[in-house]
Amino acid sequence: MARPGAVIEVDRNTPPVLFHFGEGIRLEKLPLGARIVYPPDPLDPIAHPERAIKRALAKPMEDDPLKSLLRRGMKLTIAFDDLSLPLPPMAAPDVRQLVMEEVIDMAAEAGIEDLHIIAALGLHRRMTEDELRHIVGERIFSTFHPDRLYQHDGEDPENNVYIGKTAEGEDVTLSRRAAESDLVVYVNLTLVPMDGGHKSMSTGLASFRSIRAHHNAKTLLASRSYMNPPDSALHHSCIRQGQLIEDTVRVFHIETTVNNHAFPAIASFMQKRETDWTAQDQAMFLATKQMTDIAPVAFKRNVFHAMRAPYGLTSVQAGQVDAVHDQTLDAVRKQLTVRVEGQTDIVTLGVPYLGPYNVNSAMNPILVVCMGLGYLFNFYRNKPVLRKGGVLILTHPCRYEFDAVQHPSYIDYYDEVLADTTDPIEIEKKYEMRFAEDPWFRQLYRKSHAYHGIHPHYAWIWAAHAMEHAGDVIFVGADRDVVHRLGFKCATTLEDAFEMAEQTVGRYPSVTHLRMPPIMLADVE
Amino acid sequence: MIAEALKGKTILVTGSTGFLGKSIVEKCLRSIPDIKRINLAIRSSARRPASERLEREVLASPAFKRLKDQLGEEGFAKLAREKLGVIEIDLGRDGLGLTEEARAQIRGCDVVIHSAAAVEFDNPADLSAQTNLLGAARLVEALKASGAKPHLVHISTAYVGGMLRGLVREEAPHDPGLNWRHEAEVLTNLRAPVEEQSRRPEILNKLRREARSRMGPAGTPAVARTTERLRERWVKDKLVERGRVHATAMGFSDIYSFTKAMAEQAVVELHGDIPLSIVRPSIIESALDEPSPGWLEGFRMAEPLILAFGRGVLRDFSGLPDSLLDIIPADFVVNTVLAVAANPPADGKPHVYHAASGGRNPLRLRRVAEEAQHYFDAHPLRDRYGQAIGTTMWTFPTRQEMAARARTALRAVEAAQWVVERLPLGATVSQLSDDLNAERERLDRGVNLIQLYGVYTEVDCIFDTRHVTALWEKVPAAERKTFPFDPALYDWTHYFQDVHFPTVVRMSRAETAEKRGKQPTGSTTPRAESSSVKAAIDRRAGRKDVLAVFDIDGTLVETNVVEYFLYMRLRAQPLEDWPLFMARMLREAPRWLFLERRSRAEFQRTFYREYDGLDYEVMKRLGREALDAVTLRRVYPEGMRRIREHKRAGHRVLLLTGALDVVVEPLAELLDVEVDCAHLLVKEGRLTGDLQSPPPAGEARASLLEEYATREGVVLAESFAYADSLSDLPMLEICGTPVAVNPDARLSQVAGQRGWRVERWKMAPGNWRLPMPDPRSPEYREAVRR
Repeated sequence: MARPGAVIEVDRNTPPVLFHFGEGIRLEKLPLGARIVYPPDPLDPIAHPERAIKRALAKPMEDDPLKSLLRRGMKLTIAFDDLSLPLPPMAAPDVRQLVMEEVIDMAAEAGIEDLHIIAALGLHRRMTEDELRHIVGERIFSTFHPDRLYQHDGEDPENNVYIGKTAEGEDVTLSRRAAESDLVVYVNLTLVPMDGGHKSMSTGLASFRSIRAHHNAKTLLASRSYMNPPDSALHHSCIRQGQLIEDTVRVFHIETTVNNHAFPAIASFMQKRETDWTAQDQAMFLATKQMTDIAPVAFKRNVFHAMRAPYGLTSVQAGQVDAVHDQTLDAVRKQLTVRVEGQTDIVTLGVPYLGPYNVNSAMNPILVVCMGLGYLFNFYRNKPVLRKGGVLILTHPCRYEFDAVQHPSYIDYYDEVLADTTDPIEIEKKYEMRFAEDPWFRQLYRKSHAYHGIHPHYAWIWAAHAMEHAGDVIFVGADRDVVHRLGFKCATTLEDAFEMAEQTVGRYPSVTHLRMPPIMLADVE
Repeated sequence: MIAEALKGKTILVTGSTGFLGKSIVEKCLRSIPDIKRINLAIRSSARRPASERLEREVLASPAFKRLKDQLGEEGFAKLAREKLGVIEIDLGRDGLGLTEEARAQIRGCDVVIHSAAAVEFDNPADLSAQTNLLGAARLVEALKASGAKPHLVHISTAYVGGMLRGLVREEAPHDPGLNWRHEAEVLTNLRAPVEEQSRRPEILNKLRREARSRMGPAGTPAVARTTERLRERWVKDKLVERGRVHATAMGFSDIYSFTKAMAEQAVVELHGDIPLSIVRPSIIESALDEPSPGWLEGFRMAEPLILAFGRGVLRDFSGLPDSLLDIIPADFVVNTVLAVAANPPADGKPHVYHAASGGRNPLRLRRVAEEAQHYFDAHPLRDRYGQAIGTTMWTFPTRQEMAARARTALRAVEAAQWVVERLPLGATVSQLSDDLNAERERLDRGVNLIQLYGVYTEVDCIFDTRHVTALWEKVPAAERKTFPFDPALYDWTHYFQDVHFPTVVRMSRAETAEKRGKQPTGSTTPRAESSSVKAAIDRRAGRKDVLAVFDIDGTLVETNVVEYFLYMRLRAQPLEDWPLFMARMLREAPRWLFLERRSRAEFQRTFYREYDGLDYEVMKRLGREALDAVTLRRVYPEGMRRIREHKRAGHRVLLLTGALDVVVEPLAELLDVEVDCAHLLVKEGRLTGDLQSPPPAGEARASLLEEYATREGVVLAESFAYADSLSDLPMLEICGTPVAVNPDARLSQVAGQRGWRVERWKMAPGNWRLPMPDPRSPEYREAVRR
């Protein structure tokens, strides 16, 4: 039985606590009385994933067994989540590979010839062949690539169709292949409660036209948080769109969840609480700390990005989307939830080297904000751990660096937009269409490996709720110019940051450190 | 006494387009209302006739602003019509090139004020001799020939005695034992032999080598033009040097004072029964009060020094701190001249007057330095970031020490520059090379200033002013207010702090005010200076006949043909073959670097031989892969932005490059723009390593562009060109708006000289990778296996 998450109060005997710091780590002493919230330990994985998958496909929820849906001569499309999940990328074999191999075997048995496999990447970047191969496995890749295994293109005028409008007036588009298929099998991997369900189809195979219906500052500000779908305007919108899609095309959903075993044995100290560190963990910590303090950035990045997570499958369910997703969310919450009592004046967070949008590349300043103020801040239910007007303290070097291939529009967004204003709503008014319709970014998204032109804006509004909620945001150890451009404050040390925070929240503030990743969901009472 | 004496008189002023001449004309017009007529001796220039020069070069001057304000434009024009006349006089020709009418006009003159001179200290010897020496002699002879006997006021300089010590008397010049006719002949005939010498093989070859080292890649015509320019400069420098050496050998500080001294001898010898007065001003600086405080035209002696001090260029200066620096305000000189003009010598002997301050109101060098420091501490000049430039304390070393110090520094900088220009680093060192350029300019100017003006700060003499003082005492009290010329009347602190320094700073248009609006806070770099290019794009928005032509390597993308080749070749061979291949490439590298420096075209031609025998289709596929792996990682985001701005403005965009089609075309396709690049001949599906047409580098690029423009109806004068290297110079030259992007050291110099916009575009930070595929990638391994 895995140990649940815990809230520890710092006393004299509490060892310093680990802070992620980009491609580096820091060990920080927190003030007495501060709370440290630890994620639950990884749940025990399912012993025989293949069997569990077979079982789920044979006995789907509120749907017929997959086998009975497959028939010769039909047009079958498999869509799957792209490499933004899970983080870090899963050690081979990826769960999606296992599921897809099972589905493809069944399709072959049924004699289906017209089978396409589409990476449902929405407005994310196209994956490289190596990345694609890693997710689907060698067998599928060599059989289907490139003609029948390819990546969704949300800007292809030919291959996206308009489906209609929801009751709330949201446009819905879908990949033409998916829309014209007799059956779409969606293979999902859910790591956090934001993923999966109707959102899979309504963003993964959509175009800018339908995604902008919910990817906007107004919706994001009304999603508190988007990590808890019942409270999330984003998800309500996705559900409306998803229902329209389900009315148009028959979709069979397969959702999987994994535990939070994010770090391989070599970095197991990141996985464990500091009190549990063995001599080996401590040695590993010291070695890592030394390496990251002196090594050049490019080298550190190579080392960190080569890490593969030994995730274990915790559940797999198939069938009708709502029934499946309820189960999925239960499974995810079981793994992630930690009960936290009450809010605090200050919340500290270490921002790691990796977020959903910088797999195999640098985490640029906008993505740091997206990760810290977006994802990490939003891992809550009911109320944020931070009180309204409190101070959020983040640790990340926040260097001025951008991956020119993956994030070209981020460079312009940083240089031109953020130099003008950092207010998400104002930016949206002035710049949304310019970035979304820029022909150069469109080309790079379609032909190269770049995120869509509008994507930096989405990364930015992902943090809109936190920007509005927090009284102040302080980055520790970051590049000062960059942090100022982002509109935040910068401190050299954590002590200085606390000192600065006292200006906002007063003397003797209450402090909570969320020791992520591994990720967790704070259920705040 | 003055106004009265000149009442009803007609005067002739030579050099009236100059600073002093103009001031004299203005003063006469304003303060001597009863003067009959003022004739201005003006020569028709190649561009304009004499009457137009009067309007544009004299009357339009701010000197007349005070009069215009008093009388109104109408009134002033009327006054000018009434009182001013033009006589066409060419001091460069014997007999002055006079017409009958002009001769008659000259006969009618009562006073002639000769203020025409070539006043620069570093003029070529022949020019100085012609203007200063022969001009004066010709004037006197023409006056004698006309039969008139006007009072001739010859304006000379206080330094005609050479570098003397002690008291310099107001008397006719010493005879240094020189014959002015002989000197004039020697100096004016210098040009021909120097010109001849400049065409000798050893000189011409040296100049051509220098031109090629500077402009080599820009092509033969550019090199030829540069050679000729260098030769002309060489001739001028030689003539300046000959003049300076000649003057120093004769005991003078420079060619100006030497020719002026000879001129005095000439007029004294020639004047005959024409009454002659000689006025010798010392260093003339801005006017104290009239026509307006600080009236000054052009930079004279002290101004460059003052500015150099304020700008921090001159951190020290040589000289004797207690020596007298004899400065005299222009209006005091004007008044002295008029007072002298009103008092012709009674005895027929030439009379000499010193318009100098040293005797009555001595100013020492240390005082000037202190005043300057005081002034610039209170009103500092600002650098381009708007930061105040601090002043330094001068220590007054000796001139030799100072010059030696500066020359050593200069040599060090030049050596560094030599190294930087030859580094194969291109744009990465451009900042460094710019800094070196600026430093060299600073030192150059310092050395120049020391050479030119150093002697004047070591003067150990006082100019006797007894004649002027006697004249002053004759001026009735009522007129002393109108025509002040006694240097004891003013205070130097007032003169420098309130009049002269503000004038110098204003005229230099140096930045003194704090900038308004957003300031660099120290944590932000100043914004890129692309605003004016952007403005130009906006102005020409919507025009289909405007072209924006971009070079690629180094301008849009931080790559070169070698790196692409490396990537594509490594991609196509297994890992174990890499070391051998790399070794072979390294062996060739020095040769390529050498060729690159000499001529881009030669280099490309040689390098492309490496492609011999490679499969065209495979290279095309690899080129497509290089787009993601090399090109897009190294593009300059600003460049991509600029292309889009042009496209948004409706301009045509053309990529013009010597890079190969296989790597360039994928980029052009992605950008959706036209492209003109190098193609290799293909034989049976394999590349041959021979080019289909000569590589578009140097002047070939310009002609290619011209042909394109004619074919497509593009107006090049309205078009934009972006390039990074000197080999693109001809292309930049024929476009209306050239922009040097990350220029190499040599192009940077050219761009600076021509005032072209220079932009620094950078790769997105953190993207530099070796141009090689990731050997761990399964994709690479599989591709090699295939």
